[in-house]
Amino acid sequence: MSFISLSFVAFFVCVLLLYYAVNSKYQKSILLLASCFFIGYYHISFLLTVLVISFMTFYFGKLIASTQQDKKIRWLYFSSVSLLIIVWLVLRYPEGMESVVNRVFPLIDLPWRVSQHSVLFPLGISFYTFQAISYLTEIYWGEEEPENNVFDFLLYMLFFMKFLSGPIERPSGLLHQLKEKKEFNYDMVTFGLKLMFIGLMKKVVLADNMAPYLDGMYGSLHDASGMQLVMTCLLYPIQLYADFSGYTDIALGGAAMFGFNLTPNFDRPFISKTTAELWRRWHMSLSFWVRDYVYIPLTSETRGWGRWGISFSLLVTFISLGIWHGAGWNYAMYGLIQGVIITYEMQTANFHARLADKLGKSLYNGLSIVRTYLLFALSLIFFRAESFHDAIYFLTHMSFSINHSWKELNIGMSDHNCVVAGITLVLMLVYEHYNSKQNIIELVSKKNTAVRWIIYYVLAFALFTMGGFNTDTFVYLQF
Amino acid sequence: MDTENLLKELEQLFQEVLKKGSVILTVDTTANDVEGWDSLTNMLLISAIEKKYTIHFGFREIVKLKKVGDLCTAIILKSK
Repeated sequence: MSFISLSFVAFFVCVLLLYYAVNSKYQKSILLLASCFFIGYYHISFLLTVLVISFMTFYFGKLIASTQQDKKIRWLYFSSVSLLIIVWLVLRYPEGMESVVNRVFPLIDLPWRVSQHSVLFPLGISFYTFQAISYLTEIYWGEEEPENNVFDFLLYMLFFMKFLSGPIERPSGLLHQLKEKKEFNYDMVTFGLKLMFIGLMKKVVLADNMAPYLDGMYGSLHDASGMQLVMTCLLYPIQLYADFSGYTDIALGGAAMFGFNLTPNFDRPFISKTTAELWRRWHMSLSFWVRDYVYIPLTSETRGWGRWGISFSLLVTFISLGIWHGAGWNYAMYGLIQGVIITYEMQTANFHARLADKLGKSLYNGLSIVRTYLLFALSLIFFRAESFHDAIYFLTHMSFSINHSWKELNIGMSDHNCVVAGITLVLMLVYEHYNSKQNIIELVSKKNTAVRWIIYYVLAFALFTMGGFNTDTFVYLQF
Repeated sequence: MDTENLLKELEQLFQEVLKKGSVILTVDTTANDVEGWDSLTNMLLISAIEKKYTIHFGFREIVKLKKVGDLCTAIILKSK
C-alpha cells in the first residue's frame, strides 16, 4: 500500500475519520490497529517480524533499567543490541550471512539453504531496528526511562506514517508525544494535508518525471555518451532528493494530521558549503543517529589519538552508514568518500578560512556550494550504480564527448518533461528558501479565500496534468 | 578550585583547542553557543581537559555533560 495509491488514500481517510470520531482514550488503539493492518497488508510476516522485535526491545529495556550492577547492565545492553543487529543482518542480507556461517563453521551443515528459497526482505526493518537500538541506548545511558505501556511502545515502533522509510524516531520525540492527548486541531490537520501535497508534488512532478530517464541511463551505461553520463551524474542528486524528501513530507504531513510532529529529515541540503554541513542537512534522522550512537562512542574510545582518532571514527562511521544502504562494495565506497572528504575538511579548516578571506565571503561561499554538490553527485554514482564495477565504468567514461547530437544533454527526456522538471525544481528551491525564513503554508493560509483557492487549484491542476504517475514506489523503500 | 577560576582556565583551554581568539564561557554555555565546538571537536576538548586535570571521564559520564556548568561540577568532583 504505497503512499501514492488509491488504496492508501482510502485507508488514510478511514483511519483519520475514525481517529477523531472515537473517544480520545481509544485514539491510540485505532492508530495501532491501523498500523498493524498497514504492515500486514504488505505481508503478514512483516508484521510478525516487527512485533517480535518490538516485544524483545520492550522487555530488554525494562530489564536494563531494573538491573542494579553496572557490569550486568553493560552485558545486558550489549547482548540486546547485538541480537538486534544480528537479526537485522540475517533478514537484510540472508545470502551473505549464510556464506559467512559456511566459511566460519565449514563443518556445520545448515538444514536450510537461503539460496534455495525466496526470502522476503521485511520492509522498514532497517529503520525500526535503528529506532529500537536508539531506545535501548538511551535507557543504558540513563537519558530515558523505559516505557511502561507496551501499546505505546508498539505504536512508537509500528506507526504507519513513518514505518516504511522513517524518519528514524527517538524516544524523546515520538514516544513522549504519545503521552499527550490529541484533540482535533483544524490548523494542524490542514497544515499536514498541505505538507502531504507538497511532498506529492516533489515526488510525482519532479522525481517521477526524471526517474525513468536516469534509470534508463544507469541501465545502459555502455550505450551512453560521456556527456550523458555527466548529465546523469549531475541530475541524480535532484531526483533522489525530490523522491526522498517528497516521501518525508508525506510522512510528516500525514503524522501532523494525527497530531504528531515527526523528526524532519532534510533542511535544504544543496546550500551546504561543506560535506560535513551537507550531512547535517541530508537524511538527518539517519546521520544524527550514526553521529550519536556510532561516531561519538568511537571518538570517546579513540580520544587519546587526537585528531587521528576523529578521522578514524569518521571513516568507520561513514562506511557503516554506506553499508546500512546495502552490502555491496559500492555502498561502502559511497560511505568512505563522505568520511574522507569530511576528514579533509576538518584537517584543512584553517587553510579554508584563509582562502575565504582572500576570495571574499560571497565568492568563496558560492564556490563551496558548487564544490559540495559536485562531490556529493560523484559519490552518489557508487550509491546508484548496480555494482562497484559499473560505478568505476561510469566514473572513467564521463567526458564532454557526444555520440550523435547535443540533444543528448537531455538524457532522453522530452522537451515537455525537461520544462516541467526544470520549473518544478526552481519552484521547490524558491519555496524551501522562503520557507526557511517564514512558514509559507501558514502565510498562504492567511491570504483571502479567493487567492488561497486559486493557488490550491493551480497546484492541483499542475499535479494531475504534469505528474508522472508511472510508479508508486520510493527509492528508500529498498533499504 | 572554585567554578569562577575553573571557567577562566577552561576558556583558555577552549581557545587553544578550537584555535579561536576569544571564547567566553558561563555555567549555562552549551556547544551551540561556541563557534567551532561541535561533534568534530568535542572529544578533543574532553581529552585536553582530562590531560590538564589528570582525570578520566567514562563515556556515560560524558553523555551527561549537557552544558559547561555540568563539566565544571564533574571536574571539581573528580579533582578532589
